[in-house]
Amino acid sequence: MNPIFVLFKKGVLLFTRNKAAVVITFLVPVILIALFGFVFGLYKNVDSGPGGIPLAVVNLSAEPAATDLIDALKLEKTFRVITETKNADGSLRPLTEADVRAAMHNNDYRFALILPADLISDDTFGIHLKFLSDPRNEIETQMVNGLLQKTIFSRVPQLLGQSLQHRSKKFLGDARYETFNRTIADTVAATYGGNSEEIYQRMIAGDFGINKLISSSASTTSSTAKSGDEKSSDTADIFSRIARIDTEQVAGKQVSNPAASRLVGGYAIMFLLMAVSGSSTSLFEEKRSGIFQRILSAPVRLSHILWARFLFGVALGTLQLTALFLAGKVLFGLDLFSHAVPLLAVIVSGAAACAAFGMLIAAVSSSQEMASSLSTLLVLVMSAIGGAWFPVTMMPAFIQHLSKFTIVYWSVEGFASVLWAEQSLVEILPTVGILTGIAAGVMALAVWCFKRSTMFD
Amino acid sequence: MLSLRSVTKRYGSLTALDDVSLDIAPGEFFGLLGPNGAGKSTLMSLAAGLRSPDSGEVLLADAALSKENLTARHTLGLVPQTIALYVDLTAEQNLRIFGQLYGLGGRDLQTRIDEALESVQLADRRHSVVKTFSGGMQRRLNLVASLLHRPQLLLCDEPTVGIDPQSRNAIFDYLEKLNREGLTIIYSTHYMEEAERLCSRIGIIDHGKILALGSLDELLTRLPFEDEIVFPETPATATFAAQLNAHGQLDTADGRHRFRPRTDYPLSAFFTEAERTGIPTRLFEIQRPSLEAVFLHLTGRKLRD
Repeated sequence: MNPIFVLFKKGVLLFTRNKAAVVITFLVPVILIALFGFVFGLYKNVDSGPGGIPLAVVNLSAEPAATDLIDALKLEKTFRVITETKNADGSLRPLTEADVRAAMHNNDYRFALILPADLISDDTFGIHLKFLSDPRNEIETQMVNGLLQKTIFSRVPQLLGQSLQHRSKKFLGDARYETFNRTIADTVAATYGGNSEEIYQRMIAGDFGINKLISSSASTTSSTAKSGDEKSSDTADIFSRIARIDTEQVAGKQVSNPAASRLVGGYAIMFLLMAVSGSSTSLFEEKRSGIFQRILSAPVRLSHILWARFLFGVALGTLQLTALFLAGKVLFGLDLFSHAVPLLAVIVSGAAACAAFGMLIAAVSSSQEMASSLSTLLVLVMSAIGGAWFPVTMMPAFIQHLSKFTIVYWSVEGFASVLWAEQSLVEILPTVGILTGIAAGVMALAVWCFKRSTMFD
Repeated sequence: MLSLRSVTKRYGSLTALDDVSLDIAPGEFFGLLGPNGAGKSTLMSLAAGLRSPDSGEVLLADAALSKENLTARHTLGLVPQTIALYVDLTAEQNLRIFGQLYGLGGRDLQTRIDEALESVQLADRRHSVVKTFSGGMQRRLNLVASLLHRPQLLLCDEPTVGIDPQSRNAIFDYLEKLNREGLTIIYSTHYMEEAERLCSRIGIIDHGKILALGSLDELLTRLPFEDEIVFPETPATATFAAQLNAHGQLDTADGRHRFRPRTDYPLSAFFTEAERTGIPTRLFEIQRPSLEAVFLHLTGRKLRD
């Protein structure tokens, strides 16, 4: 029997007998990817994304639009809108700004919106709001700001309509203001039909029918901003209808769960690097036990040991990646089988590159401890800058250049090309070629280092 | 069987073997005795073809032995100093892997595994994981794992380190049986008792050089004395012992004096002087010198220094 095959079989035997290694290689990554799926909201039937961020709202305005705005905020599932607080006797009362500031000081909540008495002023055109925040989490603060702006702007036509009416009233005086509005209402009713009194009431409430006007003129596909209910959705669409943008997705149309294809690919390759590096550090255990002496005193060459170890790494990596993608199919509905051949090509070439990386780590390290530390450092750095955790396009330009020197980048690109861009085997050959080239280059370097190390002395 | 011709091996500035020449005859039980760091393991690794000499040559059955010569490896068996086994696998799985590395397989390999396990009384533990074995059991398995391919030359690199006397004796008995059956054995050790018991010829090595070579009797003739007289270290013997330095070599350790008289100082003179000093003769014990004395004589140091 060929020594490479014997040593390969030995690797499989040792691995399968080590239950902890099997669990860490296959089960733990699946559990973590499932968990990340929840974090990033990849489950179709599960309520996902951020939710229930406490937002205190103090309403000091008597304007009807203020109540509408609070109702709109309550429809946003991201927020848990708090408008009341308890008295000493347990009864409820509306929040005041002082209540809010004290509660924020106690870290009861980190965001508050004050609708001041001059929400709509007689003197200026527009609305006045006050936003209080405790920005201990910058990302959370920016997200809350964005959602608040979206909700507020969904009420802008009505708020600005009221603002306009307030200024008109101040400018014209009560009598002329009423005459002006009634005349307009009568004219609209006479020209377009409808009840003059109803039109008048809507006008003084600031509702000039802009929403319906824009809605009826909008057509075809538009970018959408989703909100809690249909009414909110209509108003939120106002801006997209004012600036009509026809959006067409040219890649990944058929992908059932686009974010999952990137997440599974990125994390799978990171876990593989960890598994293969861990496996290679076991070379030190074999050295310590003197097994290499016994093996090399048999009719076995050093190259047999290295090839067996490399092939075992490739096989283990291929199995692990396949298992994780199958888990991705079960958990997130990834479409694997219609891309099976190109996906397998990326998996095998990626596994080969990772196996070679593990060998190099063992070759350049002088001890198992050093190999563990070095592999942890490099795996984390490669995962971070290679796009395993988030797209490299979000990183600074020099990091984007640097990322191209990582196995993670090319593996993630390969997986995305297959699962997202639905490229064929021929189309992904350059990526597969790069991964194979990395595997060959790194393995050659590892062999060179091994021949100069004391590993097999 | 095995010849080393002016072999030198260096690790950086350290000369591990210095112009060593040695011939091992077929069927010989050769002992390589020396302290830790003397060069025993380097010599064994060269004999096993794990390393190549910087100069000189190693011949196995008149063919040069090197890293590249895989054919010669079928003739050799190496028992490493450590427990060179996969401790997470069973005894049988270990033997199967090492047997397959020599190209064995099928029914033949199974028969050899059965015989090997039987020979070291591990047949009933064949399916046990090696890490559950005692140190002695692991050592026995470590030994037979090197014998499956039926080598002509067995290299044992301190194969009894860290085991109890009973297991050590079991290994000695097994090795002696193998040697009687014709197996050539090179046995490295720093225990003189092992070399004295097992080996028909012994090489004493220190600082990479073979200092002496021969049978136990031949080595002992190198000593300038024929006997060692051992007696207790007490106040009553102190004065007498002090006088002995003029007639030979006196060492005192562990509450005992060990006197090695010069050949021109006969035992009769020793006992006459003892009687005159009033020390009862029953306190004296006359012993045959050991390899320890030979090593001390050759190097000026004790074997375990």
